[in-house]
Amino acid sequence: MISLDQIIRLIFFPPIFITIVFPGLIALLIVIVFLIWLERKIAAKVQLRYGPLYILKPLGGVIQTVADLLRYLFAEVIIPRRADKFSFIMAPILSFGFAFIPIVALPISSKYFAFKSDLSLLVVLALLTIAPIFILIIGWASDNKFSFIGSLREGYMIMAYEVPLFLSVLAMAILYNTLDIIEIVETQSKWVWGILLNPIAAFVFLICTFMMTARFPFEISEAEQEIVMGPFTEYTGIIFGLCMSYSYIKLYILSLLFAYLFLGGWYPIVWPFTLNPIMPGIITLIKGLIVMIIGIFLRSVYPRFRVDQTLRIGWEGMFVLSIVALILSFSLVILVK
Amino acid sequence: MSEDKFMQVLIGPQHPGSGHMRFIVKMDGDIISEFEPDIGYVHRAVEKIAESKRYIQIVPLVERPILADTANINLGYILALERLLGIDAPPRAQYLRTLLAEINRIHSHLYGLGIHGIMIGSSTIFMWCFADREIWIELAQELTGARITYSYMIPGGVRRDLPNGFNEKLSKAIAYMEERLKDYEKIFINNPVVTARLIDVGIIKKDDAIKLGIVGPNLRASGVAYDVRKIEPYCAYPEIDFDIIVRKEGDAYSRVLVRFEEIKQSMKIVKQVVEKIPSGPIINESYLKLIPPKLREKAEQTGIWKMPAIFINLKPRKGEAISRVEAGRGEVTHYIVSDGSPNPYRFRVVTPSFRNLIAFKYTMPGHRLADIPAIYGSLDYFPPSADR
Amino acid sequence: MMSLNELKEMIEKELGALAFKVDSEAPNLIIINVEAPNLFEVAFKLNHMGFDHVKVVTGTDYPIEKKIELVYHVSSYTNIDLAKVIIALKIRLDKSNPKVKSLVKIWPSAEYLERETYDLVGIIFEDHPKLERLLLPSDWDQIPPLWKDFKIKTEGIDA
Repeated sequence: MISLDQIIRLIFFPPIFITIVFPGLIALLIVIVFLIWLERKIAAKVQLRYGPLYILKPLGGVIQTVADLLRYLFAEVIIPRRADKFSFIMAPILSFGFAFIPIVALPISSKYFAFKSDLSLLVVLALLTIAPIFILIIGWASDNKFSFIGSLREGYMIMAYEVPLFLSVLAMAILYNTLDIIEIVETQSKWVWGILLNPIAAFVFLICTFMMTARFPFEISEAEQEIVMGPFTEYTGIIFGLCMSYSYIKLYILSLLFAYLFLGGWYPIVWPFTLNPIMPGIITLIKGLIVMIIGIFLRSVYPRFRVDQTLRIGWEGMFVLSIVALILSFSLVILVK
Repeated sequence: MSEDKFMQVLIGPQHPGSGHMRFIVKMDGDIISEFEPDIGYVHRAVEKIAESKRYIQIVPLVERPILADTANINLGYILALERLLGIDAPPRAQYLRTLLAEINRIHSHLYGLGIHGIMIGSSTIFMWCFADREIWIELAQELTGARITYSYMIPGGVRRDLPNGFNEKLSKAIAYMEERLKDYEKIFINNPVVTARLIDVGIIKKDDAIKLGIVGPNLRASGVAYDVRKIEPYCAYPEIDFDIIVRKEGDAYSRVLVRFEEIKQSMKIVKQVVEKIPSGPIINESYLKLIPPKLREKAEQTGIWKMPAIFINLKPRKGEAISRVEAGRGEVTHYIVSDGSPNPYRFRVVTPSFRNLIAFKYTMPGHRLADIPAIYGSLDYFPPSADR
Repeated sequence: MMSLNELKEMIEKELGALAFKVDSEAPNLIIINVEAPNLFEVAFKLNHMGFDHVKVVTGTDYPIEKKIELVYHVSSYTNIDLAKVIIALKIRLDKSNPKVKSLVKIWPSAEYLERETYDLVGIIFEDHPKLERLLLPSDWDQIPPLWKDFKIKTEGIDA
């Protein structure tokens, strides 16, 4: 007979809590539902409309996304005759999966984590870079010219955003002298937040996050008016739902990472640590949500760039800035020593 | 060069960025090497149908293809018809025609601006334009009784007089719109992403614009100061002070700016129209006589004229007439051949969108795939109006 | 500022024997009747005078005379004086063999207008860069719809 105490202990066992509850599946689902609703609601507010309203009217249609998900769930999944069936189905599932896996390496507080590693920051980033490869496979498997063009655009963009993103993270790693997320946050609690130490790196990281997650004005691989939905043109039903949430998962993880790297993670904590992991988790989530909301707000301000302009921003703008951020970090480290 | 180097992309007719037409695009990497618009998906044979209709029945018919700009196309038809009939509208009717034409031009330009915005990804300007378009539609409804398909101009005059309290509503709308245009400038015209997308994209040089016979704001954005309202003034335009907006660059951005400035000019015209409007009848005297005295009395009280059934037998002289009118999107040309019967022998309408169609073929090559919606939107092309 | 009649005389002088009749009609129309073989040369001369674009190309069917009348309405963008008038360039073609040399080389703006006229009225423009169906479906096999002998099938509710 399993007692209630045992169940609670099982739930709060860090490897399970982190993957299932926070920042794992349940929190992710809630955040995505909330985020998509908020994106539509903010855009509606700017554009003098109501936005989602009728599903749960007292709360302004907040569970609209749940209804949409249910609708996706019951829609027929159509597989084009000329598509490569195996890759066509597997690629979005794998891209979803690989976008999700980095969550296990995210700690909630210095005492609460799934596993402690010297390289946890590198693990998160390395896992994040696997997912876009499946977007290329989707473009090939769909056998549709728009999908093909869309995945090629994504392919070009991968290079343009990943290099500056990694360099900006490297700049912070030099500054904190570690690649362990827990230590990074601890260092910040002793000093000041990373965004004040190296604002250039923070800016590069933020812009590259928006490029990576197809936020406006970098929503180029999907670009509805140009190439329909880009790689996801041929998808229907729940698989399209997976494709759609894929970029939101990445936004979620990168925003949390931004909170760890630049916004002091789970600090400041005023409560005693007895409320672990709830209190630190909430603080991290709030910081991450702020970044996410900035990302989704851009939709109502900017149109989209052209792919060549984005590559230019990536290589001539962000890449150069990330080098500057590196130099800044080096000089700061030398100065302190 | 081998054929394999190119990829043929068929965009439309089922495509979020194509409208009711298809583009046959030959791509060399991301660069367009050949571009062929394929239209006719919404061809409704207006010219053929017109041959079986009476002259007065054609009034609503010509409006159908150009739903965003019905007043101007209707005006063009009426002007051609009046030339055949040898009658003229009284001065008050001329001013009312100008009023509706300019209100229609404003909401046609807002429509174009909004569609262009959503084509390059700015959903905000799309929603704003379509929301503010409503104000002008409401005004037009106040004047004509219809939201889009006004059928307001009839041979020899207009259907309705200015309603009470119209001037206040109009000045309110103008004040509101002037404020809104400042917001538009912030979110769209001066948006760095918009300027990056549109400046130096889709350039039509002055010589090319003349050679290709482009019309309307697209022509004026290429540096040609051609506006039918000035070249061959009709209705109340000779007595009204306004400027032709001309820009030299000829790129997509300058086309947007020309339309944007024309909204301001149109508001200037509308203001003058309601100030200067003379009093008097709104239908030509000779037609007024045809209306039974009882109906006439009622009409004079309400300002709403019902056309008597006798209009169905309108018979113009034998001959032909051509009229041109500056509609929102450009010059509309109506050509009527009459054999003296109550039906036109041949009716021909060439819409601005059809004249601008040629710009697609010669402007697109050399640009990138992502520029297609940016240029398409800047030409303010409307497929149903081109197909007729 | 040139009056309509002055302009008409100028055009008559310029074209000489190429045009067999030049009319003017108030307020803005000058009608030039031309024989089909001379059309290209007349168009060339008009273009040279400053009439730089085509506004309308119309084909009208006259079944009793077995003729199709082709009208080019041309005007100018560059010259303000010429812009105030519209020239109607008229030729008559045999309905059995409606062939004429395309004017796209002189006025590129005629390209789609001529293509539409080919499509709907069935006039064949020789040397046209792309004389294909435009508005009608590409597998259209009936007579051109703007001929008078093409009857619209109604559903019996026509007013």
